Amino acid sequence: MNERITERLKLPDSVVQKYGRFGWPLGLAGVALVIVGAFLSWSYDPDVLGDLSLNLYPGGLQILAIIIALVSLALLLIVRGPLKPRFGPWVDAALGLRAAGTWLLIYMALIVAGISAEAGGLINVNPGGWVALLGALLLFAGSRLIAPSAELRDLSEAKVPSSLEILVIAVMMAAILFGAAYALGREDAWSFVLFLVFAGGLIAIGVRTGFVTWFGHSSIRNRKVLTLAAFVVAFFFPFTQGGSDANMSIATQVLIFAATAMGLNIVVGLAGLLDLGYVAFLGAGAYVAAMLSNSAFATIDWKPPFVVVMLCGAGVAATLGLIIGSPTLRVSGDYLAIVTLGFGEIFRLSMFNLDGTNGPLLTNGPNGIPAIPDLEIGSFNFGDTHEVLGIELARFSNYYFLLLALLAFVILVFTRLNNSRIGRGWVAIREDEKAAEAMGVNTFGLKLLAFAVGAFLAGLAGTIKAHQDVAVSPDQYIFLESAFLLAAIVLGGMGTVAGVLLGATILKLLPEKLRFFSEYRLLFFGLLLVLMMRFRPEGLVASRRRQLEFHEEDEELAVAVESELAEEVGK
Amino acid sequence: MDQFFQQLINGLTLGSLYALIAVGYTVVYGIVQLINFAHGEVFMIGAFGALSTYLLLFDDQTQVWILPIMLIGAIAASVITAVLMERVAYRPLRNAPRLAPLITAIGISVFLQEAVRLFYDKIPGFPSAKQRIPFPQIDVVTGPAIQIGDVTIQRAGIFTMAALAVCSALLWYFVNRTRLGRGMQAVSQDPDTASLMGINVDRIIVVAFAMGAVLAAIAGVSQGLQNSNIDFRMGFLAGLKAFTAAVLGGIGNIQGAVVGGLVLGVVEAMAIEYIPGQFGGSSWKDVWAFVILILVLVFRPQGLLGARVVDRA
Amino acid sequence: MTVTDVVRDRTPESGGAPVLEATGVTMRFGGLVAVNNVSLQVVEGEILGLIGPNGAGKTTFFNCLTGMYKPTGGEVRFMGTPLPPKPRAVVRAGMARTFQNIRLFGNMTALENVMVGRYCRTSSAAVTSVLRGPKFRREEAATRQRAQELLDFVGLGRTAEHLARNLSYGDQRRLEIARALATDPQLLLLDEPTAGMNPQETDQAKDLVFKIRDSGIAVVVIEHDMRFIFNLCDRVLCLVRGETLVEGTPGEVQSDPRVIEAYIGTGGDDDNGPADGAAEEDRS
Repeated sequence: MNERITERLKLPDSVVQKYGRFGWPLGLAGVALVIVGAFLSWSYDPDVLGDLSLNLYPGGLQILAIIIALVSLALLLIVRGPLKPRFGPWVDAALGLRAAGTWLLIYMALIVAGISAEAGGLINVNPGGWVALLGALLLFAGSRLIAPSAELRDLSEAKVPSSLEILVIAVMMAAILFGAAYALGREDAWSFVLFLVFAGGLIAIGVRTGFVTWFGHSSIRNRKVLTLAAFVVAFFFPFTQGGSDANMSIATQVLIFAATAMGLNIVVGLAGLLDLGYVAFLGAGAYVAAMLSNSAFATIDWKPPFVVVMLCGAGVAATLGLIIGSPTLRVSGDYLAIVTLGFGEIFRLSMFNLDGTNGPLLTNGPNGIPAIPDLEIGSFNFGDTHEVLGIELARFSNYYFLLLALLAFVILVFTRLNNSRIGRGWVAIREDEKAAEAMGVNTFGLKLLAFAVGAFLAGLAGTIKAHQDVAVSPDQYIFLESAFLLAAIVLGGMGTVAGVLLGATILKLLPEKLRFFSEYRLLFFGLLLVLMMRFRPEGLVASRRRQLEFHEEDEELAVAVESELAEEVGK
Repeated sequence: MDQFFQQLINGLTLGSLYALIAVGYTVVYGIVQLINFAHGEVFMIGAFGALSTYLLLFDDQTQVWILPIMLIGAIAASVITAVLMERVAYRPLRNAPRLAPLITAIGISVFLQEAVRLFYDKIPGFPSAKQRIPFPQIDVVTGPAIQIGDVTIQRAGIFTMAALAVCSALLWYFVNRTRLGRGMQAVSQDPDTASLMGINVDRIIVVAFAMGAVLAAIAGVSQGLQNSNIDFRMGFLAGLKAFTAAVLGGIGNIQGAVVGGLVLGVVEAMAIEYIPGQFGGSSWKDVWAFVILILVLVFRPQGLLGARVVDRA
Repeated sequence: MTVTDVVRDRTPESGGAPVLEATGVTMRFGGLVAVNNVSLQVVEGEILGLIGPNGAGKTTFFNCLTGMYKPTGGEVRFMGTPLPPKPRAVVRAGMARTFQNIRLFGNMTALENVMVGRYCRTSSAAVTSVLRGPKFRREEAATRQRAQELLDFVGLGRTAEHLARNLSYGDQRRLEIARALATDPQLLLLDEPTAGMNPQETDQAKDLVFKIRDSGIAVVVIEHDMRFIFNLCDRVLCLVRGETLVEGTPGEVQSDPRVIEAYIGTGGDDDNGPADGAAEEDRS
C-alpha cells in the first residue's frame, strides 16, 4: 500500500531537478522541528492519548514520533553526511525518507485528529503538536525533492560479521517484544491505532531502504538463532505484563488460534487441500477433554490424567481426519472443499443433537459442557497464581506457557514434514497430481496423512482450549470459525510459518483491541478475503513456491526466486 | 399412507425451493467451473429485495397483484448482486489457481450477510435485520392451508412448486431454443473455441450469473411466503442444501439440478418420518442431507443424471 | 491375415529375458476403440520404437501399460507378474515413463524434481521425518546424492538449483528422463523425447538413450522422427488406427510398403481413423 501511495505522490522529474538542492535542508529542518515539537506539549487536555500535555517531558506517543525522526535523521546523513561512505552504496536512503515522510505525516495528522476528537475540538491541540505536524510536512516535502539513490549494490552481497547479524536479530526480537507489550498496554483505540501506524511506518521504511531484504538474507543465514530468539521473546512476554491477566487472556487466545491455524496450514499450505470444516477437529479435541474432565456436567465417568486425555482427544480428532480425508481418493479440488464443509456441519449438528433426547447423552446439546475445572498436571494447578522472579504469573500465564510449548511442537512438525520426502511429495501433488502418481508418489496416502496430522494437532489444541475456556458448546465450532482459520492462512501466507503466525495474530488481536470495530469485524473480514485474493493471493509473508503458483506467468519472479533458492542451499 | 403423502408433499415443497436455487449453482459451474459459494446470499438478497419493494410501495396491503411487483423487486436485487459479484470479484480471478475464487466466494458470502445485517435498517422506514423480519402475507398465496383428505398443503408450497414448473419450462426453452442459450451450451463445452467462433464469453458468463440470480430471487420470495419471515442467515443453509441438490443431480446439468432438488427435498422429508429411533425426527434431517452430499460426491460424483466434467483438480 | 499373427511371427530372436509382455491390450472409450488387441514384448537391454501416424493410439497404449488407463481388454505382465493398473504400483514394479507434453513440477528445482522420483524407493514416514533420527538423515543424504548423480548422468548437473520451469525445452525433456530414472526402473517408456528439439539436441538425446540402455535398462520410445527411430532402435512396432500394422527390425519396417502407405495415406478414408484425435491426446 505504501508503495502505491509513494508512487502517486512522486514529483515530476523536472521539479526534482530544479529544486532538488532544497530537499536535504528541508528534510533536516523537518526532522529538527518534529524533535523540538515532541518536547513541547501537544495536548491541552492531559486525559487523552496517554498524557501529551507536558512541556519538556515527552509522553509515549511523542517518543514514537522522535524515534521516526531519528531514523529519518540517520537516513538524511546517509544521503549526505558522515554515514554516506559506509552505508551509501547499500541503503536506499531516498526511498526510505519518502516512506518516513509519508508515514510521519499520517501519524501526526492522526494525532491532531485524535486529540481534537477525544478532547472536543482542534482548540485542544497545543503548539507543540502543530510544530511537529509542520515538521512532518517539511520532511514529507523535502524527501520528495531528494533524488533517488544512484546505483545500489545487491544486498545479498552485503557481508557483515555474523556476530553483528546475530546482534541485529536480538535487537529486532527485543523490539518486537517491547512493541507487543506496549501495544497490548494501550487502553484506548486511538493510541493503539497510532502505535500501529508507527509500526507500519517503521516496516515501510525497512522495506524501502532494503533493510527488510538484508534482514531476510541474514535470517536465512542464521535461521536457528532467529527461531531461538523468537521463542525466547515469546517466553519472556508474560513477565512484561506485571501480573495482568487481561492481556494474557488475549495472548492465550492468539496462541490457540495460531496453533490451530498452523495445523490447518499443513493441510492447506503444504498438501494444497482446502478444508472448510477444520474447526471440527478443534471441537473434537475440546469435547473429548470436556467429557473426560471433572466438570459436574461431564458425561463420561472415566477421569484419566491429562496426558491421556490429550492423546484421546488428538486420537479422536485424527480418526475423524482420516474419515474426512477418505473422500480425497475420489474427490478433489472444489468438491473436496464442499465435502469438508459438509463434515464440519455434521459435526456441529451432532454436538447439538447428542443431548439425551435426540440421541445418546454425550454433549448436553446446545447447552454444552460448562464448569470445566482448570488443568492439573501433577501438583501444578493452572488456575493458581505462581510467583517467578518476583513477578506474579496468573492463570492465563500458566496456559500461555503450555500453549507456547504446543505451538512450538506444531511448528516443529510443520517445518520438519515440509523439509522431508513427505513435504516434497506434497509439493509434487500440488504441482501436478497425475504426474506425481505416475512418478510413484503415494498421492492418496499423503493427502490422508495431511488430514490426519492436521486433525491430530488441532485435537491437541482443543483439549487445552476446553480447560482454558472453562466450557464447550456447539456454537464455538461453526463454519465461520473454520473460515477465520483459513483467513489467517490466506492473509499471512500459505505454507509459511511466520506468515501464518502474523495472520493469526492480526485476526485475533485487532478485534480484541479495537472494540469499536467489533460490530464491523465480519464485514471487514469478508472484504479482506476478497481483496487479498485479488491483490496479494500469496499473503503478507509469501512462501516463494506459493508465490510462483499464484503468478504462473511471471518470469522475472521465477528468476528472482531461483537465485534465492540457490543462496539458501549454498549457505 | 396419508403420512406418506403428507411427507411427499412436504418434500416436494422443500425440494422445489432447493431446485430453484440449485439451478444457479449448476449453470455457473457448467460454464466457468466455479462453485459460486455466495449464491446462497443471492437468494437471501432476493428475499430482502422483495421485502423492500413491499415496504416502499405497498406497506400493509395484501392484494395478490402486489406479488408480481415484489418478484420484480426481488429479481432486480438478486441480479444486480450476482452480476456485480461476477464483475468485481470473480472475473479478475478467472485464470487464478482454483483456491482463489473459492476463498473469494467465502469472503463475498460473509460480506453480503454482514452488509445486510448491519445496514438494512439504515434505509429510512426499514426494520433492523439483526433479528428475523416478518415477511408480508399476500392474498391467495398465503392463508389457510388446503386440505385434500388428510393431507395438508400450504398455499405458499403450491406457489413454490408452480414457480419451479414455470421456471423449468422457460429455462428449457431459453437454453435449447434461443441463440443466447445455444451460445451458453457452446461456452460450457469449450470456452476457447466458443470465443474463437465469435461468442462473447464474458457476456455468456454474466448471463449465467443473472439467470441463476432470477431463479434464486423467486426462491427467496417463496421461502419468505412459506416461513412468513426472513433473516440475513437464511442463505447459508439453503445454499448448502441447494449445492447438495445440484451435485446430486450432476453439477453442470440443469435438468439434474431440478431433479436433484426434488429428490433431496423428498428424502429429507421421508427421513424425518421414517428413520426410527433417536436419529429420526427433524433435528437430524440436515445431517442426513449432508451425509447424502458426501456419499454422492464420493461414490457417484457425476450425480444422478451425470455431469459433463467431474474430476476437477 | 490378422494382426496378432504378425506379432507372433516376429517374436524377438535376441536371447534376453522378457521384461514386459503385453498381450491383446484393448482400450475402448465408449464406442471408440483407441487401442485394439495390441501385443508387445520387450526384452532386457533392447530399445524398441513405437511409431505410427497421429491418432494411431501410441500414447493411449503407453497409458494402458503404465496404469494411467485401465485397459478394457488384454493383459500386461512385467518381469513375469501381472501389473495392476495403478500408476504407482507400475512404478514400484520398475517401469517409469516420461510425458509427451512435459509434466515436470515447474515450481520445484531440477534437483527436487529428481528427488520426488526417489519417493517410491525411500521409506521415511511422518514420525521419522519429525524425529529426524540418523536413519532419516542417511536416507535424505542418499536421496540427494543419487538425484545429483542422475542430473550429472543426463547432463544437467550444473542446473540442479534451477527451477524446472526456467529450464530450456530440451533440458526439461532431459530432466523428465532423470526424474523417471530416479525410480530405479528396469524399463523406461519415453513419449516423444525429441519433440521440439533442434538436430543437435536430438543427437544428444540419442546418445542419452544409448547410455540408458547400456546401464541395463530397456527402453520403449514413441517418436515421429523416423531418422531418430531407425538409428536408435533394435526393433520397431508400427501402430495404425489402434492396431499393430508391422513389427520388425528398423530395416524391415522402413521398407514395408504398408508403413509407407499408412504414413502417406491412400485417400480420403484415412483422414478419420477410428482412433483419431481422442487417442493421441494425453487425457488428463
